[in-house]
Amino acid sequence: MRASDVDRTLAALADPTRRGVIDLLRKKPRRAGELAEALEMTPPAMSRHLRVLRKSGLVEETVLEEDARVRVYRLRREAFESLRDWLDRVEAFWTMQLDSFVEHAERTRPLTKGKR
Amino acid sequence: MKNDQVRVSVRVRVPPEAAFEVFTKEVDQWWRRGPQFRRGGTLHFECELGGRLFETISERDGAQLAVIGNITVWEPPSRFVFEWRASNFDPGEKTEVEVTFERIPGERDGTMVTVVHRGFSKIRPDHPVRHGAEEALFLRRMGMWWGELMTSLREFVR
Repeated sequence: MRASDVDRTLAALADPTRRGVIDLLRKKPRRAGELAEALEMTPPAMSRHLRVLRKSGLVEETVLEEDARVRVYRLRREAFESLRDWLDRVEAFWTMQLDSFVEHAERTRPLTKGKR
Repeated sequence: MKNDQVRVSVRVRVPPEAAFEVFTKEVDQWWRRGPQFRRGGTLHFECELGGRLFETISERDGAQLAVIGNITVWEPPSRFVFEWRASNFDPGEKTEVEVTFERIPGERDGTMVTVVHRGFSKIRPDHPVRHGAEEALFLRRMGMWWGELMTSLREFVR
């Protein structure tokens, strides 16, 4: 993730309404009108927020698969991949630690009986 | 927030009592070395409820103590929980690590050790890292804040 992308992402996420939009889109794609209603915003105000989110690359506007006349917003997975990466790193951290733990435990603690 | 966690399990061929003892009392011996894992010092668990996990780092003018967190649940040999605060956390920000030790049925010396690290979504970057700051630091903080979102997105992405 480049510094400029980071800045843009941060700016986009600085606003609670925009975080609310992300939260709603996490469940499923939604129309702009639905988002405005759910977050109690006027359509023009919502449209300004959506523009910021679009520019940041966090969301995109697309059409519904089942009905091409309906325009919806959805999360762009690419924008989240480097963030998602973090939890994967925590997982890798503990996996490496536990491997080391097992190695040490099995080396220093004799078995009750027999060979391993 | 069920998705707000990392869970890793491992099977070790020692009884739960020994596994528990190694995990806590001998933490410094198995905890990996290198900048990714520690700040170059020695790790200690104070093995009691309220005890701390900390790292002592020797410096020219004495030793520095870096506390990672306190033990909040202490149930040897089956379970313990401790707080986890990374050095870049703000005061009050913390995550939690639960470690469980379960005897594997039918195995004389088998124990399943599970680490659950949770609480990432509670951490919010109140002062987002700006220009010139380390990218790794930023990602770490953002990652924590987005923890809950990220775990559900994993399913979304895969």
